[in-house]
Amino acid sequence: MTLSGEMLAFTLLSLAAIMGGILLITLDRVVHMVIALVFTFISIAGIYVMLSAEFVAAVQVLIYSGAITIIMLFGIMLTRHNDTNQQTAGIFRKLLLLLGIAGFGIAVYAGIYQLDIPPEETSLHIDNTRKIGTALYSRHIIPFELTSVLLLAALVGAIILAKKDSEKGEEEEG
Amino acid sequence: MLDKGDEDAMMEIAWIIPLFPLLSFLLLLAAGRVLKEKSAYIGILLTLCSFLFSVLVLWGRIRGDTYKAEADWLNIGEAHIKAGFEVNQLNALMLVIVSLVSFLVHLYSKGYMQREDRLPVFYAYLGLFTFAMLGLVISPNLLQLYIFWELVGLGSFLLIGFYFYKEEAKAAAKKAFIMTRIGDVGLFIGMILLFWKTGSFDFQVIFQEVEGGGITQSMITLTAILIFIGAMGKSGQFPLHTWLPDAMEGPTPVSALIHAATMVAAGVYLVAAMYPLFLASTSAMLIVASIGGLTAIFAASIGLVQRDIKRILAYSTVSQLGYMMLALGTGGYTAGVFHLMTHAFFKALLFLAAGSVIHAVHTQDVEEMGGLWKKLRITGPVFLIGTLAISGVPLFSGFFSKDEILSSAWENGNYVLFGLAVIAAFFTAFYMFRLFFLVFSGRLKKQGVLVHESPRSMTFPMIILAVLAVISGYINTPWFGTFLGSWLTEGNPYLEPEHRSGPVWIMGAATLVSLAGIALAYLIYRRNSISREWLGGEGSFLHTVLYNKYYVDEFYQGTIVWLTGFVSIFLSYIDRFIVEGLVNGIAASIHKLGRLLSRFQTGQTQHYGAIAFLGLAVLVIIFALTGGMFG
Amino acid sequence: MTSIPLSAYLVLALVLFCIGLYGALTKKNTVIVLISIELMLNAVNINLVAFSRLGPSPSITGQIFSLFTIAVAAAEAAVGLAVLMSLYNRKKTVNIDEMNSLKH
Repeated sequence: MTLSGEMLAFTLLSLAAIMGGILLITLDRVVHMVIALVFTFISIAGIYVMLSAEFVAAVQVLIYSGAITIIMLFGIMLTRHNDTNQQTAGIFRKLLLLLGIAGFGIAVYAGIYQLDIPPEETSLHIDNTRKIGTALYSRHIIPFELTSVLLLAALVGAIILAKKDSEKGEEEEG
Repeated sequence: MLDKGDEDAMMEIAWIIPLFPLLSFLLLLAAGRVLKEKSAYIGILLTLCSFLFSVLVLWGRIRGDTYKAEADWLNIGEAHIKAGFEVNQLNALMLVIVSLVSFLVHLYSKGYMQREDRLPVFYAYLGLFTFAMLGLVISPNLLQLYIFWELVGLGSFLLIGFYFYKEEAKAAAKKAFIMTRIGDVGLFIGMILLFWKTGSFDFQVIFQEVEGGGITQSMITLTAILIFIGAMGKSGQFPLHTWLPDAMEGPTPVSALIHAATMVAAGVYLVAAMYPLFLASTSAMLIVASIGGLTAIFAASIGLVQRDIKRILAYSTVSQLGYMMLALGTGGYTAGVFHLMTHAFFKALLFLAAGSVIHAVHTQDVEEMGGLWKKLRITGPVFLIGTLAISGVPLFSGFFSKDEILSSAWENGNYVLFGLAVIAAFFTAFYMFRLFFLVFSGRLKKQGVLVHESPRSMTFPMIILAVLAVISGYINTPWFGTFLGSWLTEGNPYLEPEHRSGPVWIMGAATLVSLAGIALAYLIYRRNSISREWLGGEGSFLHTVLYNKYYVDEFYQGTIVWLTGFVSIFLSYIDRFIVEGLVNGIAASIHKLGRLLSRFQTGQTQHYGAIAFLGLAVLVIIFALTGGMFG
Repeated sequence: MTSIPLSAYLVLALVLFCIGLYGALTKKNTVIVLISIELMLNAVNINLVAFSRLGPSPSITGQIFSLFTIAVAAAEAAVGLAVLMSLYNRKKTVNIDEMNSLKH
């Protein structure tokens, strides 16, 4: 495997993504964790570009790095945190989990290692957004419409959940 | 003259007869609290309806043929179990006897029980009993008979225990229930065996199989004996007789109805209904006759020394039932059924009269009574009629039926049983007249009692029964024709039209024996010309043994009851320590396991997630190692 | 023609998934747990897109699927946060350990 530009880009992006993930686990302050994760999300967007999925990469940046991160930050701000030292769980449980996750990872890795699918030439990168649009509005029209219903339901549900209880809380306080 | 259709129509409605008392039972159960004293009228009216219909049915049967109606009840594989009713000679006769006595007892209870608060309950129970008894006698098959048989036992239990606040009544009710149940087990096994062998509960089918040789001889004997055990339990035959005297704890009208005239006769009825089965086995017949003869003499000898008026009558009942069994066992079908009928009338009469006496003097101890003849102007004479009838004095009903039984025993050639029967007849005459003289002659020994005659509702049934006690014998006499005998056996392929006149001297001997008994009682208890200590007074060995009823109860107490108690204590310890320990141990260990597992149930999502994921991880690792998924 | 093999992407996705899983199962703060779950979903998305490009039969469907996943994840994040807010109003805490009313 030669050290091509593509290879370099992949290495950097994956390292950034993994670093973000590790920071998420190791950092103390909640806001820092969320910021660290933004790096991961953006790196993943880069990975998408390498995989000829420009549109998905754009969506990734918009939704994850933008919307979800902001929502989470709002969530953090709206709730009170005795911020630092959020470490929890017994050492025993953590160790056991680490062990389980490591075993799981190795087992799946063994599977990936055996996987050998020869790469094929594709034209996915040409007119990527147009292709996605065509597929979405033709072949996948029903799931697409269902997704809009789901989003509407989530919107209404989220508003009701947050609103009703805050009113109740006010009544209790008052 | 009625044509054939009318007679059938009469018998077609036989099914309605048991429904009147059932209606009475249900009505009183539902509305007894509201009706109070008026509930007596409902009971009386409905049993009167029963009686009238029974007479119609009997009339129809005399004119016509046996009528039988059945419908499929259960179909199990090849077996068709039917339900329905049958009117043959025996059934029709029993219907009239039961409904008549029941009606008279309902009427009598109106006076006897008038101060009882729970009068509606009493009448409801009487209705239930009458329903069961009437249902019993029209059953066309063994299974249906068995159902009513148990219902009759239930009615008896409820009525004996009517004064449930009295310890003795409670104990007596339980005893009656359990003792008869021992017999019922025999009947049940016999019934199942017959069904197994013949594939039917139906009487006619069973008889055809028996006659056609479909069952082996030993099986016939076995089933006959088992069924006879059932009859022994209900009819108080030795050794299952002990419950009947104790059952006198119930109200006196109940004693008259159930424990003299109807239910205890159910055993005799059962043997009579299954008679072809018994006829097919000589050894079963011999057993029936022997048990009957033994019971007759045994109970009569106990009756000689008892002091309680109802107990004397109870032992007399046991003895007379033994007589009927003896008659059936020696081939005297007519004699047995005939005596069943006459006995129902005169024994019901005696009980009702005894109830009237008790009503007047408020004691049951005959030694405390006396001189009542002048005070009870109606009860006295009817009691005398009953006594004469049961003693077998000529011209009264008991004379004819007893003569018939003695003839049949003689003809059978079993002279030991004949001897027993004659001695029992002597005893019967003696103890009945002892009772009569002690109660009605001499002076009243109990002080401070205002003796008065019973109300008309009580005397009226007694008068009716007294008339029947005299005349009912004349339907089957050697002098004026044997109407009953020829009617009962007519058209029945298993029974020969019979009348065993027997040697003429038997009638003379029977008369002589009963007169001798009466004379002896007269000399001892009226004239006092023979000392009561003549054959051993109170405290002598003979008297003690008899007074304590041959210690049968004590024997049962010491052997069966003690053994059962011992076994049950032993088993209860097994149950308490081994079985219960096992069960508790299992329960406790599961409880502990649950406690342990419930600690995983922390309510924390992360724990659940961790546990679920670890499980998944283990599965994935196993797959990877064995190559299950990728191999 | 790309020189990066499929397995490289898959391993990257695996690592991210494991990190997300660990965070979701050990972090005390509910917001971080939610974020970790988002990370796990992202790892899955990488797989989808990688297979859509380098899989046995490349096609656009993998990308479409990842778009649906993103939409559902966004909805999930919104509802999850709303639930969190109402829980917070009631219990005055975001500690996941203290949300154990479903204990036996």
